Amino acid sequence: MSAAFHYPPFEIPPELDGLRREVRAFLSEASQQWSGWDIGHSWMGFDRAFSRAVGQRGWIGMTWPRAYGGHGRSALERYVVVEEMLAAGAPVGAHWVGDRQSGPLLLRIGSESQKQRFLPKIAAGEAAFCIGLSEPGSGSDLASLRSRATRVDGGWKLNGRKIWTTYAEHCDFMIGLFRSQGTAEVERHKGLSQFLIDLRSSGLEIRPIVDLTGEAHFNEIVFDDVFVSDALLVGRENEGWAQANAELAFERSGPDRYMSSFPLLPLAIDAVCEAGTIDRLSARRIGEALADIVTLREMSLSILGQLAAGHTPAQEAALTKDLGTTFEQRLPELVREITDNAPVISAGDKLSEMQAYLMQSVPSYSLRGGTREIMRGIIARGLGLR
Amino acid sequence: MSSAAASDAGAEIADLLGDQLARLFIKKVTREALAAAEQGRFDIALWKEITDIGAASALASEAVGGAGLSWAQAGGLLQSLGAHAPPVPLGETMLASWMLALAGIEALGAPLTVAGGLLQVDGEGRVSGEDALLSWAPHAAAIVAVAQGAGGRQLVLLATADAELTAQRTLDRLPAARVAMRGVQPLNIAPAPTVLGATGLLAPLAVLRAQQLAGGLAQVLALCVDYANTRSQFGKTIGKFQAIQHQLAELAELTAAAQVAAGYAARQLDSGNADSAERGAAVAKIRAGLSATRGAAIAHQVFGAIGTTDEHILHYHTRRLWQWRDEAGSEAWWAEWLGHRLLAAGGAELWSGIVSRD
Ligand SMILES: Cc1cc2nc3c(=O)[nH]c(=O)nc-3n(C[C@H](O)[C@H](O)[C@H](O)COP(=O)(O)OP(=O)(O)OC[C@H]3O[C@@H](n4cnc5c(N)ncnc54)[C@H](O)[C@@H]3O)c2cc1C
Repeated sequence: MSAAFHYPPFEIPPELDGLRREVRAFLSEASQQWSGWDIGHSWMGFDRAFSRAVGQRGWIGMTWPRAYGGHGRSALERYVVVEEMLAAGAPVGAHWVGDRQSGPLLLRIGSESQKQRFLPKIAAGEAAFCIGLSEPGSGSDLASLRSRATRVDGGWKLNGRKIWTTYAEHCDFMIGLFRSQGTAEVERHKGLSQFLIDLRSSGLEIRPIVDLTGEAHFNEIVFDDVFVSDALLVGRENEGWAQANAELAFERSGPDRYMSSFPLLPLAIDAVCEAGTIDRLSARRIGEALADIVTLREMSLSILGQLAAGHTPAQEAALTKDLGTTFEQRLPELVREITDNAPVISAGDKLSEMQAYLMQSVPSYSLRGGTREIMRGIIARGLGLR
Repeated sequence: MSSAAASDAGAEIADLLGDQLARLFIKKVTREALAAAEQGRFDIALWKEITDIGAASALASEAVGGAGLSWAQAGGLLQSLGAHAPPVPLGETMLASWMLALAGIEALGAPLTVAGGLLQVDGEGRVSGEDALLSWAPHAAAIVAVAQGAGGRQLVLLATADAELTAQRTLDRLPAARVAMRGVQPLNIAPAPTVLGATGLLAPLAVLRAQQLAGGLAQVLALCVDYANTRSQFGKTIGKFQAIQHQLAELAELTAAAQVAAGYAARQLDSGNADSAERGAAVAKIRAGLSATRGAAIAHQVFGAIGTTDEHILHYHTRRLWQWRDEAGSEAWWAEWLGHRLLAAGGAELWSGIVSRD
C-alpha cells in the first residue's frame, strides 16, 4: 500500500522564540485600536500604514535575498511571523498577496529588472498586489478564461474582464493571467501568459463589488486596450498556467488556511468563564478545537518543510486546505454552541462584533483559493480514482 | 554514539522491524485467523514469531535488551498493528516493556497488558482497585499498572493470576475483562517514571490506540479505493462517481489528520515531559477518534451491502475502529479533559500554549 500523502514532521526550533516575542510585542502595541469587527477580517484586513510598519521591521519578504530588499531569513522564521500575525487577527491584507504569492513568483521566474523594480517595494510594505485569475465565465474552470493579450509594437494590449479580484481598488499592481494564444475552447491552459499590470494604467476600470458583509472587498475589472510593455510579461509566453500552478501548494497550505477565524477562540473561552458556564459541552468543544488546531498546524508545518526541501506536495496542500477551511468555518458555530449568543451585534463587544463579521465571512473560505469540490477532486485523483 | 547517529540507527531498525512484521501480518493475519481469534483461540504460533523478531521489546531500552526505538520511530510499526490488526497484545506488550524498562523493573517474556485506570497501593505495598476494561487480560501473564499511594504514583507489575477477572464482551470480540485487585502483592514495584502524569498509563495507552486508529483508517481507505475501482454500476466503476470520489477524499483527509495527530503525540511522549505527553495524547485520541467515527461511516457507505456481511473483511476493521476509539478515553472524554484545562488557563494562554513545545 503506497500512501498518496506524507507528512514528515517539521518543527520550529526554540531559537526562534526571540523572534516570536518581538512580533508579539509589536502586535500588542499595534492592536490597541482594533475592534472585534476589524480583527474578524484577519488577512483580509487592509491597512497600508500597518503594512509599512511591518515592512520596516523586516517582516515582509523575509526569505528573499537582501539584494532585492529581502532579509535572507528562513521559511520557518517567516512562518513564525505569519502565524503570530494571524493569531492576533492583524490587518496584513496590504502586503499579504505580495509576500505570499506575487513576490515569490517574481523571485522564481521574474526578469532581473522586474525583481529590482518590484521586490524591494513589496518588502517595504509599499506595493500592494492582487491576483487576476477569475473571470465572469471562468471560476473553477479557470482554463476556460477568455480575457486576451494581443501582441502590439513593444508589448501587449489586454482586453476582457477579471472579477472577484480582492482589493484591486486599493492595490498598486496585479499579476494577471491572459489568453495570449488560441481560443478557450481549443487551447485551454496551453495559451495563457502572466503579466504585471499597473492598476493605474489607462483603459483599466475597477468597479468595487459590495459583498454580503456590506463592505467592498473584491472588484470587477474591465480591460479596454490596456497596454503592457514586453518587460512586464512574467516568465515565458504561453507558460502562464504552469507558472501560476507552481505556487498553489504555498497558497493552499499556509496558516491562513486554518487560522482565519482563530481569534474567536480565546474570546469564547473568556466569555464562557465569565458567564460561569464551564460545563461538559463547553469543555468538549474547546478541547476538540484545540486538537484540530494542533493537527492542522503540524500538517501546515510539514508542508512547509517539504516545500523548503524542494518538493511539490500538491496532494497534501489540497487535503490540508479542505480540512483547514472546514475548521475555520466551524468556529463561529462552535461559539454559538457554547455561549449565549444574542441575536444582536453589540457595539464595542469584541466577541459579538467578531462573531458577526465571521458568521458572514466564513462561507467564502471554501471558495477562495479553489473550492472544496475542486480540492476533493484533486485528492481523489491522487488516490487513483480519476 | 551521538544522538543523531542513534536516531538514524533507530530509524533503520524501525524500518527493518516494520518490514518484517508487515510481511508476517500479510501472510498470517488472514480473515480466518481473525475469525478464529474472535472465537477465543489465542494464536500462540503468531505470538512466538513476533517475539522471535524482537518486536515485543521494540520500545524498551537497549540496556534491557530492547531495540530502544522512540515512539516517533515506532510510529509506522504501531500503525501497522492498526492496519493489519494481528490478534495478539503486541502494542500492549511493547508499551508495558517500555514502561518497565524506564522504571527499572525486569520484564517478563510473556504477553503483557496495560491498565489505563489508576489503582491504589497501601503502606505495605499491596495493590487494590479496578479497571473496567483491560484488553487481553485473559491471555496476559502480567499486568502493568500505576497505583497511587502515600509515597506518590508507583508503577506496579501484577500477576494476572492474582486478579479477579470478569470477562467483558466488546465490539472487536477479542479477549478483555474487568479486572479487580484486592490487596494484591505486586511482583515488582517502583516509582512511576516521570513521563507519566496524573492520568497515569492512560496517556501512553491513548497514544497507542490513536496510532492503531490511524493505521486502521489507512487500511480502510485502501480497501475503499480498491473497491471503488473494481465495483461497477451503471456501466462504470463506482469510483468514477463524483459523490464517491468526494467521500473518499474526505476519508483521506480524516486518515491524514489521524496519522499526523498520532505522530505529534508520539513526539510529545518522547519528550519525557508528563504535561506534553498528556496533552499530545489528548490531541491524538480526540482527532483519531473523530476521524474513526466519520471514517467508518464513509467506508460502509462506499461498500454498500456487501460491506455489512460477516463474510467480508471490512467489519473486522470498522469494529476495531469503534472499539479503539472508546478505549483509553474516548474522543469526548479527552476533549472534556483538555477543554477543562484550557478554560481554567483562560483565553490569553491559548495561543502561547499551542506554539510552546512543552
Ligand atoms: C472572498 C473571495 C475572494 C476572492 N479573491 C479572488 C482574487 O483575488 N482573485 C481571483 O482571481 N479570484 C478570487 N476569488 C474567486 C475564487 O477563486 C472563485 O470564487 C473560485 O475559483 C470559484 O469560482 P466561482 O466562484 O466562479 O464558482 P464556480 O466555479 O461557478 O462554482 C460554483 C459551485 O460549483 C462547484 N463546481 C464547479 N466545478 C465543479 C466540478 N468540476 N465538480 C464539482 N463541483 C464543481 C464549485 O465547487 C462551487 O460549489 C475570490 C473568491 C472569494 C469568495
